Amino acid sequence: MKKIIIPSILPVSIIVIWAILTTFTGLIPQYFLPSPFEVFESFESLLVNGQLLTDTSLTLLRVILGLTVSAAVGIPMGIILGWSQKIDHLTSLTIGILRPIPPIAWIPFSILWFGVGLESAIFIIFVGSVFPILINTMDGVKRVDKVLLETAYTLGANQRQTLIKVVLPASLPSIVTGLKVGVGVGLMCTVAAEMIGSNNGLGYLIFTSTSMLDTGSAIVGMLIIGLIGLSADYLFKKVEKDVSW
Amino acid sequence: MIKLENITKNFTRDGSKQVILQDINLKVDEGEFLCIVGPSGCGKTTLLRMIAGLEFPTTGHILEKDTEISGPSIERGYVFQQYSLFPWLNILENVTFGLELKGMEEGERVKKAREYLKMVGLSAVENSSPRELSGGMKQRVAIARSLVNNPHVLLMDEPFSALDVQTRHKLQEELVRIWKEEQKTVIFVTHNVDEAVFLADRVVVLSRNPGKVIKTFQIKLKRIRDRTTTQFQELKKDITINLDVEL
Repeated sequence: MKKIIIPSILPVSIIVIWAILTTFTGLIPQYFLPSPFEVFESFESLLVNGQLLTDTSLTLLRVILGLTVSAAVGIPMGIILGWSQKIDHLTSLTIGILRPIPPIAWIPFSILWFGVGLESAIFIIFVGSVFPILINTMDGVKRVDKVLLETAYTLGANQRQTLIKVVLPASLPSIVTGLKVGVGVGLMCTVAAEMIGSNNGLGYLIFTSTSMLDTGSAIVGMLIIGLIGLSADYLFKKVEKDVSW
Repeated sequence: MIKLENITKNFTRDGSKQVILQDINLKVDEGEFLCIVGPSGCGKTTLLRMIAGLEFPTTGHILEKDTEISGPSIERGYVFQQYSLFPWLNILENVTFGLELKGMEEGERVKKAREYLKMVGLSAVENSSPRELSGGMKQRVAIARSLVNNPHVLLMDEPFSALDVQTRHKLQEELVRIWKEEQKTVIFVTHNVDEAVFLADRVVVLSRNPGKVIKTFQIKLKRIRDRTTTQFQELKKDITINLDVEL
């Protein structure tokens, strides 16, 4: 019980204070910040007309697809770069320059190349989440216990077998950490991409409802994103525990 | 048979050359239990690693059955000083690791692995994770994991040094029993003279800076050896004196 009660104290207090400041005292005018009751009303209507479900699933779909591409590229590449110092040297400058570029800066080009739609969003998420996955995987590979590698060699493993049977499982904890960070970044990228280059999704919901002064719906969208992030984090923390050797 | 011919090993540290091992000539017979003792830093682990093919001599040759050693092989099992079980595999999977790489069929490799787990007295923990095992148990699994591949020689690098005295003595006895059963060549590195006298047919004493063979002792005492006998104690004293000179 304590596990649920203590973390709930703060959010509940915030909602209470928020209600007091808006509805009960009117200190904050409605156009500045909608009250919790208005947010709940927006939530109800978005739920009833089905928009919330559609936008949430579209955003989730984009995040999952984008992350899948990132994992498919980032994990093998991270293993190769972590394993081979030569290839690491060859690519370090390029990666060093590309990595700090904010994913959002790619939006104009992604629209130019892929148009407005799913591919464009996947590209933005990929650009944002591939680096944490790549870097964490690389780091995990570099830190694999040398004794385990040599054990594999003395048990007759060749390089390929060592990579698959030792390096990959040994760096799994770092890979999961990379994925966890990647999900967070991916979520941010999706929403940003949806605000500019999309006509649906939670980012689009937030952006359009704010411009139509439907601030309640915007907050609903924001909270759903928060909840998705929280659930993803919870999930990955569980997986992290399972692979913490 | 393993043959070391004029082995020298240099390391370069901070630009200056350091001679780790010099003029090592050694022949290890089929089925022999050889212990290499020496103070820490004498290069005894490096010597063993070169026999394993994990490192290479600067000059000289290491031959196994008249073929030069060119890299690690399943023919030369290695038990590390550090715990080396794969933590994501259970005990049985750890022991079958080498057999699986060889492409042995599952039923057969499990049967073989169980046989060797039984030999080291760990049948009951085959489904456990390495983290649930004590240090002594981990090293026993490591021994089983090497021997199950039927290597030509077993190389052991201070495998019992992290264990408490009682466990160490128990594992030494077990090792002697296993060595007799399996009739393997064993090359065992240690800094512990008592351990060497208890285990070996022959003890090679290395000096430090650079590592050279200073003396060789044949030990003919009957196994399982009794530490309390005067011969045992005398041998220990003789070897220790040789070690101390170099300290």
